[in-house]
Amino acid sequence: MSERGETGRDKADMNDTAPVPDIGGSASTLLKGYRLIDGVLDEMVDAAGTPKPVWRQFISAIEALGPDELTRRFARANQYLRDAGVYYRVYDNDGANEREWPLAHVPLLVDEKEWEGISAGLMQRADLFEAICADIYGPNRLVEQGVLPPGLVASSPEFLRPFAGVQPAGGHFLHFCAFELGRGPNGEWWVLGDRMQAPSGAGFALENRVATTRALSDIYGDMHVHRLAGFFRRFRDSLTAMASEPSGRAAILTPGPLNETYFEHAYIARYLGIMLLEGEDLTVTDGRLMVRTVSGLKPISVLWRRLDAAFADPLELRSDSQIGTPGLAEAIRRGSVTAVNALGSGILETRAFLAFLPKISRALRGEELLLSSIATWWCGQAAERQHVIDNFDRMMIGPAQSTRLPFEDEKATVLGSSLSPEQRASLLARIEANGGDFVGQEAVTLSTTPVFVGGGLEPRPASLRVYLARTPDGWVVMPGGFARIGYSLDATAIAMQRGGQAADVWVVSPTPVKQETLLPRERDVFKRNVPGSLPSRAAENLTWLGRYIERSEDTVRILRAYHVRLAETSDPDMPLLAYIRDYLKPVGIDTKIAIPPGLVRNLDNAVYSAGQIRDRFSPDGWLALRDLSKTIHQFAESVEPGDDATRVMTVLLRKLAGFSGLLSENMYRFTGWRFLEIGRRLERGIQIARSLGVLTPEDAPEGALDMMLEIGDSVMTHRRQYTVRSGRRSLVDLLALDPLNPRSVLFQLERLKQEIGLLPGSGTGGHLSPAAKEVLRLHTMLAIDEPGDLNPEALSLLANQIGGLYDTIARAYFR
Amino acid sequence: MHYDIRLHLHYDYARSSGGGRHQIRVVPRTLEGIQRVVASSLSFEPAPTEREDFTDFFGNSATSIAFREEHRTLDVRMNARIAVSRPEPGLDVSPDVTGLRRQIGELRSVAADTPHHFLAGSDFVAIEPEITDYARASLLAGGSVIGIAQDFCRRIHDDFTYDGKATTVATKADDAFRLRRGVCQDFTHVMIAGLRGLGIPAGYVSGFLRTIPPPGKTRLEGADAMHAWVNVWCGRDAGWQEFDPTNDMRAGNDHIVVGYGRDYSDVAPIVGVLKTTGGQKGKQAVDVIPID
Repeated sequence: MSERGETGRDKADMNDTAPVPDIGGSASTLLKGYRLIDGVLDEMVDAAGTPKPVWRQFISAIEALGPDELTRRFARANQYLRDAGVYYRVYDNDGANEREWPLAHVPLLVDEKEWEGISAGLMQRADLFEAICADIYGPNRLVEQGVLPPGLVASSPEFLRPFAGVQPAGGHFLHFCAFELGRGPNGEWWVLGDRMQAPSGAGFALENRVATTRALSDIYGDMHVHRLAGFFRRFRDSLTAMASEPSGRAAILTPGPLNETYFEHAYIARYLGIMLLEGEDLTVTDGRLMVRTVSGLKPISVLWRRLDAAFADPLELRSDSQIGTPGLAEAIRRGSVTAVNALGSGILETRAFLAFLPKISRALRGEELLLSSIATWWCGQAAERQHVIDNFDRMMIGPAQSTRLPFEDEKATVLGSSLSPEQRASLLARIEANGGDFVGQEAVTLSTTPVFVGGGLEPRPASLRVYLARTPDGWVVMPGGFARIGYSLDATAIAMQRGGQAADVWVVSPTPVKQETLLPRERDVFKRNVPGSLPSRAAENLTWLGRYIERSEDTVRILRAYHVRLAETSDPDMPLLAYIRDYLKPVGIDTKIAIPPGLVRNLDNAVYSAGQIRDRFSPDGWLALRDLSKTIHQFAESVEPGDDATRVMTVLLRKLAGFSGLLSENMYRFTGWRFLEIGRRLERGIQIARSLGVLTPEDAPEGALDMMLEIGDSVMTHRRQYTVRSGRRSLVDLLALDPLNPRSVLFQLERLKQEIGLLPGSGTGGHLSPAAKEVLRLHTMLAIDEPGDLNPEALSLLANQIGGLYDTIARAYFR
Repeated sequence: MHYDIRLHLHYDYARSSGGGRHQIRVVPRTLEGIQRVVASSLSFEPAPTEREDFTDFFGNSATSIAFREEHRTLDVRMNARIAVSRPEPGLDVSPDVTGLRRQIGELRSVAADTPHHFLAGSDFVAIEPEITDYARASLLAGGSVIGIAQDFCRRIHDDFTYDGKATTVATKADDAFRLRRGVCQDFTHVMIAGLRGLGIPAGYVSGFLRTIPPPGKTRLEGADAMHAWVNVWCGRDAGWQEFDPTNDMRAGNDHIVVGYGRDYSDVAPIVGVLKTTGGQKGKQAVDVIPID
């Protein structure tokens, strides 16, 4: 260390901290503030302050970059996360809020050898939990032999009676597990909690990796870090393998966009190419789970459910669930669908179980646990209760039946020493009276790992979440995961309740590791996915996204034409302006406000529709849409009518065009795209027909025809095609009847005819579907019309008929 | 004692219902030494697209039905002939609460009829300190578990007012307790909550009760209703005993059991999500006709 004690704080800290020696001979600026916490182990350096071997290359590399470059690079990682729209949802006093993903940029490094030990311990543990689950929902030998107290099973809210005695269809209860680990003061990794029901965070681990490697790509490339993609590929292959017989599909079931981790559900679905469904997408017929798609009901045989089992079926589980599927429990009982993980597996997360695991492991498998759990005492037993009471101050005390991690349970789990005398007396009395309701857990301290703060590294306590997936060859461990990093220097595990950051975890090998990708390898058999499994709800949301986007564009065009004229005139009450005001008012657009709330609402609705189907959206598309929404909300507060508004409308039009361009140039022509396109074409047809009906009558105010041309974006075409001034007939000809004008009504019907003709079931056996017939009739009738036929009444009728076409499509595909 | 039991549930939907799925628990079960089902039938109008009869965790007869077609009404009809011969309550051989707790601890089983399932709070019956405090008076008065249950049963009968308008089918124990009003379902829930609060395992019994018309009057057609009472685990020797707080009595030969559960939600006569945007209206007609 070249310099120390520059500040008063550093001097004060000198006594109880160990200095970190210089690394690689150069003056270490990053490490000079790295002060270990007394009595707490650190991941990066040993007690003497010497960096551990696995960190040396990494430290030298970031030293070489220097604090300024690191700051720039970490900002880039944050930018990536913002661009990708990575968020999680927090429920606090202000309701639900989307928060940016709090990435701590320095990864936690783990040596490959050490990781092998962790992996072996976790695989053993996963097998043990599988055996416990099979026993609880089977013969209950653990209870019979006195290994597991019966009350911990029968009183558990996670013991789901509809599944007692039911064998899981796939032969296993558990397919995807997560474990929360911490390194205790003795240097061993301990399991702090087991996530067995619907573990979250695997997608965030992937995003952490992507963001971290954005910042540190060169370092990542030089070090031998195990890749994550292989883990996901193998798990996806296992899911689809289970689904392949007979004719079933695999799907991910999400509680929906309001869930804390919906982003992750959508992300994983997109990454793995698996359908993302909500409860209402599913139905059960004759004991089979089916998804409602635009091609009818299709069987689902593997359901990776991301919602808690209690909400899965309002008929047999929680009757107040709005997000479940009636009949799902029956389908599972009949063995037609494999739930990942089995409904009922949540009981394995019961905190009090940790107290019995070593005994259970011996009873069920004749083995000692390779990894210990955090020391846990169930107060339903006299000796254990006394131990907790005697050691009250260093215990985390919480509900025995809780399935939360102690540091995710701020409401119910407390640190003994933190209580006031009254609270202490009251809790002790409750433990004495109903010991079976409580567990005490040792208030362990966690090891620390470096975070980048103010240009240097500082230690922060960390825990580690690791994922295991079942494959036909047994468990595979994700080589990495994510680390939770505490905000404060308080290294007791319970301090993590106060929230924190997440860091990537690098498992580092001394030798080069295999490169992995989700793309098929050359020798893999090439297989096309079965098309036509677009869920009806997704189709409906895509159609409305198209409609809202198009409606917004049309409104913006009218408003621009309006404000241009307002800016140029001295008379805001000139007839044309008043006429437009009266036209827009009934559709909820108040022209007195430069950015009318009705327009903002249209775009909000577009974002909402897109938000329901995040899995079907590219990050670019989502970013463009969010940008649009952000722009309009910003402008909404500051813009004045007239010139200012004209300018803003032009900006909005450009952004809308950008979004539309992304959709038409980048989106694969799946069925989903067709519904989006149908929505846009329907809305444009309706809007143009309506505007024509209003702006082309003989008695419309002066200037209405020119304005219509502007709204229809056809000023130049009209000038080229017709040598006269804007005349009513030439204008109707161009905007209603010209098959080559992409803004004309006929053009929309032509496109609708094509796309509807390609929808599932639209032409089976030579018979046209109702929607195909209706669009053919509309198209033919308009194609043979002459401009003179299209008086205002006819145009208004046409707009309504196109609206009616939507209803026909909805009846056929969105039910 | 033999009974013919008729049940008719009728639902009108304000708008046509586009499908739906239900579970029905209205058919009495055979219970060794208590009652025997001689014959029973369960039918639906319109006929459901799917039907599956099964036995649930607690051993009750349940039927799952599903409709795919639209329908405006639903009629459920159950007919059964049941032979009932409940033994008279014998000597009180139940332990005190401490003894009960020890006996529960010795039971290494989570079979459906073990008391372990009936100790914790459940959907309709949260363990509330104020209900436990209310129940505690019976702890002193009763002595044995049967004595406690009997005393508590009487107090609920005396302290609560039968009022069909005060509560609904969705009312939870704590709300009924605060009102001191309700129907058989509410009295049953309050009694269960109080007993569990004292550490005494208690469950919900759904069934039928023969009603005896006033002297000189004939029995009114369809005037009976489904009934509910409490099942209490009174120790190893006394086993499960049934108490009816609505009528302050032990269950006897007028009580016919349909199902056992932790609370109403385990044994509701009909549950199901109706796919309809309008409201729905229901009617219930029950006849319990003694035939010998």
